[in-house]
Amino acid sequence: MESVTEIEQRMQSARRAFDELKAEMARFIVGHEELIEQVFIALVCGGHCLLEGVPGLGKTLMVRSLGEILSLSFSRIQFTPDLMPADITGTNVLTDDPSGRKIFEFQRGPVFAHIVLADEINRATPKTQSALLEAMQEQSVTVGGKAHRLESPFMVLATQNPIEMEGTYPLPEAQVDRFFFKLVLRYPSREELARIADLTTATPPAPPREVLDGASILQIRQWVREVPLAEIVKDYAVRIVMGTHGGEALDNGTASSARKFVLYGSSPRGLQSLILAAKARALLAGRPNVSFEDIRVMVAPSLRHRLILNLEADAEGIGAEKILAEVLERVAEVL
Amino acid sequence: MSSEAEILADKFSELWRWERRKRREQVFLTVSFYSVAAALLALPFAVFLPVPWSRWLMPIVWFLLLAPILLFKRRWRREDSARALARLDRALGLEERALTAWELIERGDSRPAAQLVVKQAAVQLKGLDPTALFHRRWHRHHVLALPLLALWLALMGFDIDRRFNSGVVPSMTVTTALKLREYARALQERAQSEGLRQSLGLGKDLAKVAQQAIDAKTTEDQFKKELAATSRQIEAMGKAAGEPPSPWTAESQQSLRDLKAELEAARQLLQFPETAKGTEPLGQQWLDRLAGLPQLKRQFDQENQSAQKLSQNALQAFIDRWEKQATGELDRRTLLEAQQYLDQLRNQGQGENGEQNLHASGGREQEGSGEAGKARTNSSLPGKEPGRKDERFQSLPEFATGAPARVKGQLGAGDSSGLVFKGKPLPGKSELSQEEVIATYRRQAEAELNSERVPEALKETIKNYFMSLGQSEGKK
Repeated sequence: MESVTEIEQRMQSARRAFDELKAEMARFIVGHEELIEQVFIALVCGGHCLLEGVPGLGKTLMVRSLGEILSLSFSRIQFTPDLMPADITGTNVLTDDPSGRKIFEFQRGPVFAHIVLADEINRATPKTQSALLEAMQEQSVTVGGKAHRLESPFMVLATQNPIEMEGTYPLPEAQVDRFFFKLVLRYPSREELARIADLTTATPPAPPREVLDGASILQIRQWVREVPLAEIVKDYAVRIVMGTHGGEALDNGTASSARKFVLYGSSPRGLQSLILAAKARALLAGRPNVSFEDIRVMVAPSLRHRLILNLEADAEGIGAEKILAEVLERVAEVL
Repeated sequence: MSSEAEILADKFSELWRWERRKRREQVFLTVSFYSVAAALLALPFAVFLPVPWSRWLMPIVWFLLLAPILLFKRRWRREDSARALARLDRALGLEERALTAWELIERGDSRPAAQLVVKQAAVQLKGLDPTALFHRRWHRHHVLALPLLALWLALMGFDIDRRFNSGVVPSMTVTTALKLREYARALQERAQSEGLRQSLGLGKDLAKVAQQAIDAKTTEDQFKKELAATSRQIEAMGKAAGEPPSPWTAESQQSLRDLKAELEAARQLLQFPETAKGTEPLGQQWLDRLAGLPQLKRQFDQENQSAQKLSQNALQAFIDRWEKQATGELDRRTLLEAQQYLDQLRNQGQGENGEQNLHASGGREQEGSGEAGKARTNSSLPGKEPGRKDERFQSLPEFATGAPARVKGQLGAGDSSGLVFKGKPLPGKSELSQEEVIATYRRQAEAELNSERVPEALKETIKNYFMSLGQSEGKK
């Protein structure tokens, strides 16, 4: 059995690894520190991320850099309307065996990688989308009646463009719910833009250094689940999730705007994501327990894509983030 | 339990003890504030309490009522312990280490990760002093509790509740008592000025009864009983005063008062040097002056006495007897009036109608023999009987009343100068007869001469002046 000292050491190593990752990423990606942290958290929690942002914000670069720094295999799938499921999962092809007989051999698709970038996932047909989503959920693909296991760690980073909705197939809510986080890329600030210009128009930086391998990530994933969580903190998370449900009054007894604008609140999967993410954040911060702040910070990426808003919210321009902010404001830490 | 866990348990207990203590203090002050505030609001109703001194207990009663409710409502619960620890985490930046450690200790979690949380929390909280970290915090109502109590005590000390009550929500007892006190004061003044001994005593008794009722030392029932008892006592006194039957019962009150004034004047005349011999018949001058005292003269006539034949001693005896009888009769009538007034007070209904009736019937006074049913005035106060003119129609000048003035200097006849005009007097517009005017002047002069406001040396001069008025009237 591990001792307290060993726990302290592994926490320090996790933190150190994360710090190194951030430092290395900063060489290629300007800004987006918070986004990088959240992607890493999703990775160590075994989740997948849906990245939303306008073109040119560095989504692909970030994912590719992450794959290189983590010493993990990386593949990119550009989703288009004519993309077929087999183009993602792979397919059985007819080949000759050593004895010269014709046999079907499984040709692995791009999904067989540790980190998969599903670029503009909403441009593919639902059939193709669901092929990827099955892989995300089951971490295996079934082709020709045979299941093929994907390697761990496995992480899908799907991107979608909030503009140019014509000719797209928005992800069904049930499929969106399978993403651990939905991350929104903001437009860079003035200083960040200047730094981007410097970085991309001068001599390219040296190739990224590998700071973490797959085994270490799986180890950290195990540690995350061992982080103690106080009942009161857990209750806080539960009440936040409850607060996203339209029919539930919040702690101070007043009906929130969730009641008015939310059609369906967060699913239990949202609570799982929230707590797991909070634990990962605590670990990466070198803290042995989850704090209220961890919960608060993880609310938006964990729950924003799990709220289904009504038409009234659309009409009034109310987004999920505004509702979540109000929920956070109203829910007390301790009852 | 590990040593870190023990340290934490001790520190947590210390923190909760301190927080409980602060809460108890706050509850005490909150209850005190609301108790005093409630007592202040209930101040106008304090006089309705059955026992007068119980109004001083009002805040205590409110306190005893509110304290259990608030203590129960703000009792220490598990959530409070959690809140205290969350506050501690926030204050020390522990990021919920204390809160998590508390739960882990309670759960008996011995995993290394749990022990690490406990260890880190223990290190941070080893030197914790909750009293230094979490000071007492007072809200506005906590601070106001003491000043409010002082205000309440001051108001109670000044009997504001009673004043307020008498001004805004008068109780029947207090209203009646106030009227009675006013009546008693007037009765005493009148009795003192007219020398009515029994009436004076009664006035003092009534004032005492009224004051007790105003001070809320008696209940309404007690007050009514006391009024009834006093009424019976007056009845007995009136009967005693009426034995033997007075020959003056047919006289009007005004006549009796005039007679008393004239008797007093006559007594003064008897002390003149020319009449001081005692056994000798009175001189012509005295008899002439006696003619200026119509009531006295009438009495002599009624008794078929010739004042000329009487010696000074005999006349003195007559005057003494008449004065005693007149005073007794006046005393008896005043007592009877007082009894009637008390009966009316007792029988009056409550409220505005009762008060109006009280005014109407309180103004009735006896005329002549004192039987009820004769003409009455609209005042309940003594001295406003028929025969006296209303102030609006009073044409006679009043003697100035005020603080006695002392004039320094030597007395004696001074130089005088003037012009003498002779002319035919014209009749004035006054409807009063000259006799009435002179009698009134004389009465007022007598009253003033008996007071200290007129210097002793001038009394004789003034007396002579008014006597000369009578003489001139007789000559006419």
